[in-house]
Amino acid sequence: MTDVLATLRHRLPAPAFAGPVHHVYVHVPFCRAKCDYCDFASAAVGDAPDGALLDGFVGGVAAEWERERAAHDVRRLHTLYLGGGTPSLLGPDRLERLLELFRPFLTSAAEVTVEANPEDVDEAFAAWAAAAPRARGRGSACGLRVSLGAQSFAPALREALGRRARADPAAAFGRLRRAGVANLSLDLIQGIPGQAAADLEADIAAVLGLRPAHISWYELSLAAGTPLAARSARSRDEDEGAAFYRRVVRALSRAGYDWYEVSNFALPGRKARHNLAYWRARPYLGLGPGAVSTVGARRWTNVAGTAAWLRATSAGARPPREVEDLGAATRARERLLLAARCGDPVPLPELTAILDLEAAGSLAAAGLVSLHSGTIRVTRKGRYVAGAVCVRLFRG
Amino acid sequence: MTALDHIRNFSIIAHIDHGKSTLADRVLEVTGTVAARDMKEQLLDKMDLERERGITIKSQAVRIAYTARDGQLYQLNLIDTPGHVDFTYEVSRSLAACEGAVLLVDCTQGVEAQTVANAYLAIDNDLEIIPVLNKIDLPASNIPEAELELHELTGATHDEILIVSAKTGEGVEDVLEAVVARTPPPRGDPAAPARALIFDSEYDQYRGVIAYVRVVDGGFSRRQIVTMMGTGQEAEIEELGYFGPEMKPTERLETGEVGYIITGVKDVAQVRVGDTIIDKKRPATEGLPGYKVVQPMVFTGLFPTEGDKFEELRDALEKLKLNDAALMYDPESSNALGFGFRCGFLGLLHMDIVRERLEREYGLELLTTMPNVEYHAYLTNGSMVVVRNPAQMPDATYIDHVEEPFVAASILVPTEFVGTIMELCQGRRADFVDMKYLSPQRVEMHYRLPLGEIVLDFFDQLKTRTRGYASLDYEFHAYRKSDLVKLDILLAGESVDALSLIVPRERAHLRGKALVTKLRQKIPRQMFEVAVQAAIGSRVVARETVKAMRKDVIAKCYGGDISRKRKLLEKQKKGKKRMKQIGTIEVPQEAFLAVLELEPDDKDH
Repeated sequence: MTDVLATLRHRLPAPAFAGPVHHVYVHVPFCRAKCDYCDFASAAVGDAPDGALLDGFVGGVAAEWERERAAHDVRRLHTLYLGGGTPSLLGPDRLERLLELFRPFLTSAAEVTVEANPEDVDEAFAAWAAAAPRARGRGSACGLRVSLGAQSFAPALREALGRRARADPAAAFGRLRRAGVANLSLDLIQGIPGQAAADLEADIAAVLGLRPAHISWYELSLAAGTPLAARSARSRDEDEGAAFYRRVVRALSRAGYDWYEVSNFALPGRKARHNLAYWRARPYLGLGPGAVSTVGARRWTNVAGTAAWLRATSAGARPPREVEDLGAATRARERLLLAARCGDPVPLPELTAILDLEAAGSLAAAGLVSLHSGTIRVTRKGRYVAGAVCVRLFRG
Repeated sequence: MTALDHIRNFSIIAHIDHGKSTLADRVLEVTGTVAARDMKEQLLDKMDLERERGITIKSQAVRIAYTARDGQLYQLNLIDTPGHVDFTYEVSRSLAACEGAVLLVDCTQGVEAQTVANAYLAIDNDLEIIPVLNKIDLPASNIPEAELELHELTGATHDEILIVSAKTGEGVEDVLEAVVARTPPPRGDPAAPARALIFDSEYDQYRGVIAYVRVVDGGFSRRQIVTMMGTGQEAEIEELGYFGPEMKPTERLETGEVGYIITGVKDVAQVRVGDTIIDKKRPATEGLPGYKVVQPMVFTGLFPTEGDKFEELRDALEKLKLNDAALMYDPESSNALGFGFRCGFLGLLHMDIVRERLEREYGLELLTTMPNVEYHAYLTNGSMVVVRNPAQMPDATYIDHVEEPFVAASILVPTEFVGTIMELCQGRRADFVDMKYLSPQRVEMHYRLPLGEIVLDFFDQLKTRTRGYASLDYEFHAYRKSDLVKLDILLAGESVDALSLIVPRERAHLRGKALVTKLRQKIPRQMFEVAVQAAIGSRVVARETVKAMRKDVIAKCYGGDISRKRKLLEKQKKGKKRMKQIGTIEVPQEAFLAVLELEPDDKDH
């Protein structure tokens, strides 16, 4: 009898974000200057940032990590992601100190990613990234995954984004690779005001020439309130946007990259495991100002202001946070919308409360989703319109 | 009790916006009927809708005690009438309750179509007309020109035409003096069997129907048993009284007086406007002239946007109907829109008002289909089918011919627009009758015009093309044979009944083409390509394609974005509720009225 129950329980899908935590994100809220399209939590600190502020930040993360680790069922970390903001701005020494906080908890095969901007990638940074051990102890692998914010290889287009155009992303990429960083990802943007089809082809050629292990290629979204949104009166024609997007997908797929998420492409074995954890609705902790955590039925967002976050953490207190309780239906909807981005199958029983089966049927007939073995999966064709697909699939 | 020769019953009639309600307000103020502290604008218009839109929908009556310059105290009964062509019948009954009418003309605008129509109504009812020019305080006023037009219309001389500013109050007492001096006292027989004319009615949820009456002969008392002649409804008078302006109960209403009668009858259809109330024990044998049951002229489908609100809509319509005998509704089921009602209205304003009250007072969200008129389809087997929903037009092979309602339209315009009007009317299948000059600058043109063209957009076009200078009045004329066909709209090959319409055959191609183009613009991209077709019978006359959407996904979604992203999709899902799902296609509600938005040239011949 108990065996049967155990089997049944095993078959029932695990609710989204349930289980012990294996993934940590650290938000580094500093940039030299704010990009014109950015609506993230970050503070512009200029070219010569105040070292005390940056040191204070590392201390704050240490305190918060200690606190959160005790508060949740945190196991060995499979992934650690240092994002921002501009983590590379901290420099190798502080990054090393930051990393040291987590080393005791990382598995030997853990994926550790640092986001870097081309202007920060000097020889010293590259050498550190290539050699930094990921975990303590014998046999632990060395070398980080570096995600390089290239945006575009055309200086004029980087300038259009308000991004300082000096540093050449290709040069930074070369330094990292020569230093021995094997797991390299490039961040690119398409749909920059003024970007012509020929410019896109040039970027595609440049990227494929470098052949990074992983590519994130986003369509520029003009977040309301950003300077770029204010500058760009005319929003892009839907068809033109779609054409650029489809062109990127096709070109990278043909070059051997797996289009494994809406905007992400990887060579075999090089998918971003940290990001996959989000898309598979695994629990994660976020540390730092503005960072978001989701564990079980609860999601919380740290106060976005660095000063307020620092005050709390340095006093040994929990930073102010905004809490959102996720009901079962909410989590099921998130499960579906995240899986849709990757084309992952979701067992239908998990979606009973929120899925419009009739809509699923008509979308399947149109080839936008596939219903198979008690699961629903958004097809590659459906992925281009995953938003509309989810809206249709949600029960009213 | 006031002696008959000290009663004056009058009404103020005017084109819309010529200042009728303002003059009524001033009259109440200068006579002290309403204390200064209780005064507010459009005092007699009780409904929110009336006040917001600046229109009068329901008639109102108010008793005014006025001491004239001759030192005598008079009872004046002012009956405020609706000012819109949809309610012409109510206006005519209100006028039938009076002996005099103040014909108010904005002297910055001059005589307009409803001025003329109302003046004729007043003349038909043998009323003494007191012509008054309003808004003399405005710089744009042109008193000599307006006077000339009034003279042309009523024969009034310079000395008979009063000039006022209802806004400032200048000349208002002269109007009251003229009402006393020129309006004849009521001519009833106090000794004859009692008769009262119902000129409007109102439903009160606690007290039942309140009939607004003018006692013509004899008198009525509380507890008297009365009969409504037209409907045969018998009832006991529970309360009667007059408006001052709120209801003031009295023991009796005498010959010549205006007031209200409450009988406890719960249905306005039993206490109809135009009917005669008589004494049951001593019944008058002859009803007052002019009683008729008004028929709806314009029809539309009303559907709740949420399917489960059908019962609520029915309840709301039932309640509105209690107060609105002209409202008609029948359950209807549409393959596209589900369950709703085919509703009949006196006209477009009436339709607008009912829809707005349903949404506002009953919290319903409604989808309205394209309004249409009532067609009469004569079949080859000799029978006739009444078609109030285009989708129900019988198959062309069974039809001998189709008739549609025509109206007698009167259009008043400055002479320079005569050519414009002729062009517009020709494009709208109108027959010219005649035209006459009201003054060297203004002309009155008469046409016979399909009501369907007015329902489509004739009035808007009239206003646009004459820069607002033209005014229109019309009344039902007759059913006439027209060469009409049913135009069906197909989405992805499926006919959508709620989009069907009846059009003149020679316009069917062009209108079909324009309509599918408009629909293509209205229907957002779907996840798959959708064909939009117009067809007459099985023949497709126009086709467009709604393209499939090529991309609809947010580029970034990481740990910090999930909530935002989910909320966005949930919001979009809610937004979709405003869409109607027809098969696999999502159609926005505006699409069902797309035909109203066609370019005017697409509608002309």
